[in-house]
Amino acid sequence: MRKIWLIAKTTYRRRVRSGMFLILTFGLPILMVIAGAIPIIREERGAGEVANVGYVDQTGRLANVSQVSAQDMILSLLSYANTDAARAAFQQGEISRYLVVPENYFQGGPATFYAEEEPNARTEAGLERFMQQAMLPDQPAWVIDRLSDPSEMTYVARESGVAIEQGPAVIVRIATPAVLGLLFALAVFTGASQMGSVIVREKEQRSMEMIITSLAPRELVAGKVLGMTMLSMTQLGVWAIGGAVAIVLAFSSSLDFGALSIPWGAVLWAVLLGLPGYFLYAVTASGLGIIAGSQQQAQQLAGVLGIVGLMPQRFLGVVVDTPNGAAAVALTLFPFTAPMLGLIRMAITEVPVWQLAASFVLIVATLAGSIWLVARIFRAAMLMYGQALRPRQLIRALREA
Amino acid sequence: MEEMNNSNCALEVHHLSKTYATVRAVDDISFEVQHGEIFGLLGPNGAGKTTILRMLLDIIKQDAGQISILGGPMSEEKKTRIGYLPEERGLYEDMTLWETLLFLGQLKGLARQTAETRAEAYLREVELWEPRDRKIEALSRGMNQKAQFVAATMHEPELIIIDEPFSGLDPVNTRIIKNLLYEMRERGAAIIMSTHQMHQVEEMCERILLIDRGKRVLYGPVHEIRREFAGNAVEVSMRGEIHHAPGVERITMRDGSYRLLLEDGVQPEEVLKTLVEMPEITVERFERVQTSLDEIFVQVVGREVSVEELAA
Repeated sequence: MRKIWLIAKTTYRRRVRSGMFLILTFGLPILMVIAGAIPIIREERGAGEVANVGYVDQTGRLANVSQVSAQDMILSLLSYANTDAARAAFQQGEISRYLVVPENYFQGGPATFYAEEEPNARTEAGLERFMQQAMLPDQPAWVIDRLSDPSEMTYVARESGVAIEQGPAVIVRIATPAVLGLLFALAVFTGASQMGSVIVREKEQRSMEMIITSLAPRELVAGKVLGMTMLSMTQLGVWAIGGAVAIVLAFSSSLDFGALSIPWGAVLWAVLLGLPGYFLYAVTASGLGIIAGSQQQAQQLAGVLGIVGLMPQRFLGVVVDTPNGAAAVALTLFPFTAPMLGLIRMAITEVPVWQLAASFVLIVATLAGSIWLVARIFRAAMLMYGQALRPRQLIRALREA
Repeated sequence: MEEMNNSNCALEVHHLSKTYATVRAVDDISFEVQHGEIFGLLGPNGAGKTTILRMLLDIIKQDAGQISILGGPMSEEKKTRIGYLPEERGLYEDMTLWETLLFLGQLKGLARQTAETRAEAYLREVELWEPRDRKIEALSRGMNQKAQFVAATMHEPELIIIDEPFSGLDPVNTRIIKNLLYEMRERGAAIIMSTHQMHQVEEMCERILLIDRGKRVLYGPVHEIRREFAGNAVEVSMRGEIHHAPGVERITMRDGSYRLLLEDGVQPEEVLKTLVEMPEITVERFERVQTSLDEIFVQVVGREVSVEELAA
């Protein structure tokens, strides 16, 4: 175990300080945080502002409203008889923007908003408030508030009894497994599938023969896989923190994060399926790396593995249409697609526990078989510098080992 | 497994064979290596040397035969008692020399602190202490060679297997590595050395195994093998010229000296006496010809073999 840990630590240290890893790991979250911060910055620009807004009521049925406030912004409203008058006031700077409510508004016609720039969320909220008050001048504020979201409810699943609140809670419930599935895919494609290249590089550097006389081939593979897993976890950790910061920044004003609950069931299944699933990809990629004679061949073989890994995406339409259909169940039970497909299905339907449990068992069994297989071909192929292992040699290696 | 319990033997190999497809790479090879001995493993390209070394280290499995290494079959525990410098070798280029040695030292079972102490001592001895924080890729070829040697031996193994330890080294660094090997031998380590530098084998090895096409061709102490192949010839430096002499079958010139091939049954002392008594010449040097390992190799293998071929 000490040697496995030593190999893992060294693999991790060597790659964690490489320029490509640093760019990939920290570049993405920085972009996410920037993307999350831009709307905030835009919103903050309107905070506490008092805006003079004109309006033209062509329906003749709106009540006069002189002032509304929404999200720390106050709209001071001025009524104009027609669009010419409103435009003239806008051009003279009396008002900074104006709204034209057309005659057919109550039949579905759209109102037109004129301004120097696109309205931000505060302005939109203020305009909505104005329209509500102008249409219902006699109603108290609480009626208007309630009317803005009259159908908020809690859904209770009949079979499982699981209660889901509407709104952000539903989004979190759906998004959590989907995001975990995405993180699994990212981990596989940036970490596990790179194992082949790592092993080929080891062969190319001629370091394999010296190292292999210090430990068993299975210890070398296990150490490399563990090191790459630690690397992927570091990367995902940084990305997850970056994503969380971006989400908090973007929704801090509109979401009560304390009221949201994490769906721990989905997280548990993500770990149970994702971790052995990741190891399965890593060990398989190692085996392909051992067989490959060059980086180019390793990448080609990793591409084949990638096609298998992307199968859930190709079947996404079918899975979404019939999440409990035969194709969805089969892909949930197939070890290489199980982690991602299982999590995608969890986002859109109630996946029977037996299917998830069976997936877990099949992944672990396949992983054990892969380790057995890779350890056997390792001995035969590790010293074949610049040569790929031919099928006949592969069969002989398996027979002789 | 057949009992092999010669207590001073670091390695005993009996009837070792290996076949790749239809090629008999190693054919019924037996030899042993003692503690405190430097043993030469020689043979031309494709002779089966690397296959033998890899079978000794359990990197590949033999088809037949027995190997007793450090008193029994190979085990994971024994890997920490063996040092191996393969012919196809390299270190992680993106690691510093210091990191590399600590990593490989610990992989060979040394505690971190011991690895640090040993690494410092060895780096100072091979004059690599100053560039210890340089990445491997930034080291010169000679430095790299020395670093690899240190990596293979810093855990002070009981059995050392080295393939071409002097390649890429200048005479000064060759001397440094050679002294380290002598120190290890003095400590009781058994050393198996494969090299194409025959003068190094002649100088350093007590015994050799010469193989060709997987078969054992010569095996035994170097001095006995050289004596066996010496033949009945003498080399003479003199003033004057001779074209024939009693008891001499053939006279040839080589590097300014005469080489005299004596007739069967004629002793060198008799020829020396005859030459001294010849008035037209003055003998300055007279010695029995020592056949070099190069010459023996060509003679035994039965074909011209390049020096490079001997190495592979």
